[in-house]
Amino acid sequence: MTKVAIDSNLFERARQAATKAGFSSVEELITTAIEKELKRLGEADAEKQVADQLRGLGYIE
Amino acid sequence: MSLDSQIVIVSGLPRAGTSLMMQMLHQGGLTILTDEIRMADTDNPRGYFEFEQAKKTKQDPSWLTEARGKVVKMVSALLYDLPATESYRVIFMRRDLDEILESQEKMLARLSRPAAPRHQMKQSFAIHLDRLSQWLLTQSHMNVLEVNFNQLISNPVPEVHRIAEFLDHRPSVELMINAIDPTLYRNRKPAESDQ
Repeated sequence: MTKVAIDSNLFERARQAATKAGFSSVEELITTAIEKELKRLGEADAEKQVADQLRGLGYIE
Repeated sequence: MSLDSQIVIVSGLPRAGTSLMMQMLHQGGLTILTDEIRMADTDNPRGYFEFEQAKKTKQDPSWLTEARGKVVKMVSALLYDLPATESYRVIFMRRDLDEILESQEKMLARLSRPAAPRHQMKQSFAIHLDRLSQWLLTQSHMNVLEVNFNQLISNPVPEVHRIAEFLDHRPSVELMINAIDPTLYRNRKPAESDQ
């Protein structure tokens, strides 16, 4: 496991939100949030690459 | 809703068989909306059947009223730009991604344009298609029929019947089948039924 430092106020908000949303721990909420963001960033990169390819082929402007 | 008040969209990735589907629907008796600005060439010897204004739908969707009851070709990424003020029947072409990429790479080479590495592009197309499929499921103004190009070439009859049924049996099955010329589809892995 790798430790990551985050602001203590943010951690407290995350802890409260995790409890409210039914996560088993604050770590589970943070892991889920990071995975979602990484997926979103990967999708954005993929869509940009697709757009570049379609533009190169003359199918979009 | 009547087909006359809807717009038929033929979509998919470039080189997924969208031009073949346009040719089939044209020969089958449907009216095609095309400006023929992009002319037939080595990559599409029977023509592209494109409509330039479709590329600018986000900025100007006014052409859509003219498209009711007709067939228009739009590349996959442009489907997001179609407004919900119209109703659509979308024929979405699927094809083996390696075949698509091989064909696109040849096309890009002829255009003297760079191609991204195959493995990266394949992954990006897979993400793009997956997101688009999920999005299409939530669009109540779009009815979607997926057609597999590889199956269409290797065993056309059942696929063409599905297409005709999706379009209220308006296009002729026989004429659509006659439009398929397997010799034109060079970047194709042999289907099991071909072997």
